[in-house]
Amino acid sequence: LFVLLESTVFPVTYLNITKDLALQRLLVEWDVGKPAHDAGLAMSFEIQVRRTDENTTVWTGFHNVTLGKSAKPLHWIWDSDLPLECMSHLVRIRSKAEVSKIWSQWSLWEAVLGMDTSNNSEPQIFPNEKIVEEGSDITLCCIGRKGRIIKEFFLVPAVHVFSHTNSQVGLLTVKNVSHQGVPHISVYCQESCNEEQCYAHSVFFVGKQPDTPNDFSCQTQDMRIVTCTWSKGGETYLYGHRLPKYTLFEEFSQKMVPCTVSCSEQCSCSWNIGQQRIYNITVTVENPLGKKTAMDVFDVTHRIYPAAPFQLWEECTDTEITLYWKHRNKGIELFCQTEVLQPNGKVELHNSSDTHLHYASITLGGLQPYTEYTVRVRCGAAKHFWRWSEWSEALTIRTKEATPSGKLDIWREITPVLGGRNVTLFWKQAPSFRANGKSVSYEVTWEKVEGGSKRESISFSPVHNSTRISIDNDSYRISIMAKNNVNYSLPSVMIIPRATEILFCSFLGTEELKEEQVNGTDDGIFISWEPRHTYDSYIIEWCKVPMLQPCDLQWKRFGPNISSALINSAAFVPGVRYNFHVYGSVANRASLLEKKTGYLRELPPLLDPIVEKVELTLNAVTLSWDSYPTDESQPGFVRGYHVYVSPIQEDCLLKGSKKHVLPDDSVLCKYTIEDPEEKRYTVKHLLSNTKYKLAVKAYTGGGETPIVNFIYIDTPFNSNLMYLLVLLVIVPAVIAAICHWKMKWVKERCCPVIPSPSKSKVLSFKAFKVRSLKI
Amino acid sequence: MAEDAQELFAFYEKDQHLAINNLCRTNHLPEWLRGPVTGPGALRGTMTRMAQALQDIARHQRDLNPPGAEILRRLASTHLKVRGLLNNLEGLFPAPSLPPGRRHPPGPTAPTKVFQQKLEGCRILWSYARFMAKLSAQLEGRSRGGRREKRRSHRGSWLLARS
Repeated sequence: LFVLLESTVFPVTYLNITKDLALQRLLVEWDVGKPAHDAGLAMSFEIQVRRTDENTTVWTGFHNVTLGKSAKPLHWIWDSDLPLECMSHLVRIRSKAEVSKIWSQWSLWEAVLGMDTSNNSEPQIFPNEKIVEEGSDITLCCIGRKGRIIKEFFLVPAVHVFSHTNSQVGLLTVKNVSHQGVPHISVYCQESCNEEQCYAHSVFFVGKQPDTPNDFSCQTQDMRIVTCTWSKGGETYLYGHRLPKYTLFEEFSQKMVPCTVSCSEQCSCSWNIGQQRIYNITVTVENPLGKKTAMDVFDVTHRIYPAAPFQLWEECTDTEITLYWKHRNKGIELFCQTEVLQPNGKVELHNSSDTHLHYASITLGGLQPYTEYTVRVRCGAAKHFWRWSEWSEALTIRTKEATPSGKLDIWREITPVLGGRNVTLFWKQAPSFRANGKSVSYEVTWEKVEGGSKRESISFSPVHNSTRISIDNDSYRISIMAKNNVNYSLPSVMIIPRATEILFCSFLGTEELKEEQVNGTDDGIFISWEPRHTYDSYIIEWCKVPMLQPCDLQWKRFGPNISSALINSAAFVPGVRYNFHVYGSVANRASLLEKKTGYLRELPPLLDPIVEKVELTLNAVTLSWDSYPTDESQPGFVRGYHVYVSPIQEDCLLKGSKKHVLPDDSVLCKYTIEDPEEKRYTVKHLLSNTKYKLAVKAYTGGGETPIVNFIYIDTPFNSNLMYLLVLLVIVPAVIAAICHWKMKWVKERCCPVIPSPSKSKVLSFKAFKVRSLKI
Repeated sequence: MAEDAQELFAFYEKDQHLAINNLCRTNHLPEWLRGPVTGPGALRGTMTRMAQALQDIARHQRDLNPPGAEILRRLASTHLKVRGLLNNLEGLFPAPSLPPGRRHPPGPTAPTKVFQQKLEGCRILWSYARFMAKLSAQLEGRSRGGRREKRRSHRGSWLLARS
């Protein structure tokens, strides 16, 4: 039997092919003889598919199956990448039992006809209006009428295609298709003629599957209507009736959710819930290319998203606000949060437990009087908090006015006049001062300390910050208060001592204080002073604009433990000298302690010293510039002077000087005077009878300006030399000339010729000698 | 409006990729767009059908395009202009009310395939552009003739007055 089976074949006895045009697939149905079924054989089937335009098999596959005893035919599906309408498709099958080594004969080709065999009245394009997914491939065909050739077959907009159009059937394949920014792609086909019936047109659509609904979540405001929301997802490039459609389904009740989806930026769907509390909602989004789902399982009581509180109103005092609001949905216990925005931008949050009351409230305390606060409220479910509601509309509330708090900072400038003093009083709001009202006016009061005078008082409007009063030489108490609609502030008090006291202090030398120079920095002028334990505060005063009268006096107050400060003012200008007075204050009496003077930044002097006197000697020149000022009219502290000297024609090499090279590389001799009061200088070792140029420059901490003008001098000729020249040269020459001229006279007078007897021939010495000898 | 009609057709033809083989530029115009216009009643009838045709074209294009597409905006704009002209015509030349049961004759069956629908729309817009161009020329001609007549009658009365 085994040998018999080895060589037994079971040919295909039945083969039927049908086509599913919607899915573009062939449905193959076949069978072998009953004996194979009865034997329950395991069989292999080889299936081949062929198309009429190609004489080759386009597909071969194997299908293995164990036959059942019931004689049911076998089925198989083949998906075509080419529309089945384009051409006829043929299928054949052969079989082999697993135990056998022999394949059966092939069945006959069974065909499903394409439209190419029909008698069409015009060319036809397939597929028609197909929707394909971006990135996939598509093959289109154009079937011409019988006997016609396809001349043109193309797409608009043009895409790269693999085409084959030399027959009755034209084929186009587009790989990795993209939508190209157009709603659809048009297909054009033309036979080799020009009449209207020679053309066929179609379109196809390129799109995307819908995205899975993102952020799918359901909630309720009132426990009656539930709203589910989700993100719309990306562009699918399919529009109109091809747009994604959404449906919601409730899994526990197995019913469609009766809601209408609406989508703008987000999608939502709302419906009235009944008694059901637990839900399992699935949202499905579907378009012709596919479908996606998302799910949310929830208890409605855990998904309460309250409506925003509304109708806020308030009651307030100077330091408290009681805020009230309404809820839209009664019957839900809420927990609320109040946000308070302060004028300084700081935000505070206050929580309050709510009840089911229609009106809710919260009291906010510790507030500042006459100050605006902006408040708003939001609420969440008190049990099973899900999320905060939206904020209510904001309400801006101003607390009521109260007595001004803190004190004014006051100061004075005393000017002695005949019979008394003029006192200019200044006031400003100290950092600790609060007006606590719409506006404050000021009341200035003064009276004698020892009494015996009427108290005088003047009121000033908010715009005023100073006044001048005249007092005699007695001691006065001055008091300044701020006033608003509620009350007066605490008074700020100052005592102006008796004039004799001031004189006494001056006598002690406190008014003759030495002015100490201070330095400026990028951030201001640094002032320090000797701390003294007797004072409860220190005050530094200075003029904002020292050159003006009045000079706009400024002051700053410091605590008893401070002994230095960086005075910074936007009004400080480089090159301007500011004078600072440091006062100590105790029991409202101020005493001048120290004087400082300085510049924010010193600048070089604007004007050079004018040399008023030039005293020349043979080898020296003395320069004087007595009237040069070194006071506050200078843009810096004058530290000294530089004297520059040079001969006109050459570089300077004077003894005792330093070399100074000008920008033009000429060399000057430089002398330095380090005493600003020393306004006279002598340059020595000059050559006589020589032209020199000189300059005198003042310098400050900011340096000096470049040399522009020179003084020119000629040193005198040296007369001693002249005398020496006369004595040593001229006089002997004159004498020699005279002598030469009167030589004979001189000779006769000086050295007359003395006759010499020896020279007489008569009286010659030789003869005498002979004679002498003979004697 | 003639210029607007021409611009709409040109845009549509290009946007729908129909500028091939003069597909849209048919010589077989729909009967109701052939002209000439014989009177306000005829013009009103044409504009009524054109308003409907524009609605149909817009509805078809809404099924193909994203909201806010330029073609939809232009179709809506032209539709508004046609409706505006219709309102003016109806105000100036009120139409007699139709007897009950009397309706406009139905048009040809609308194509169902996408390409055919957009081609049909293109041909209607082409025909409309030609119709409006002819109408504009017709009105311009009448206006010139009217001005000539007026000038002639003025001169005549002046001559009469002088004599």
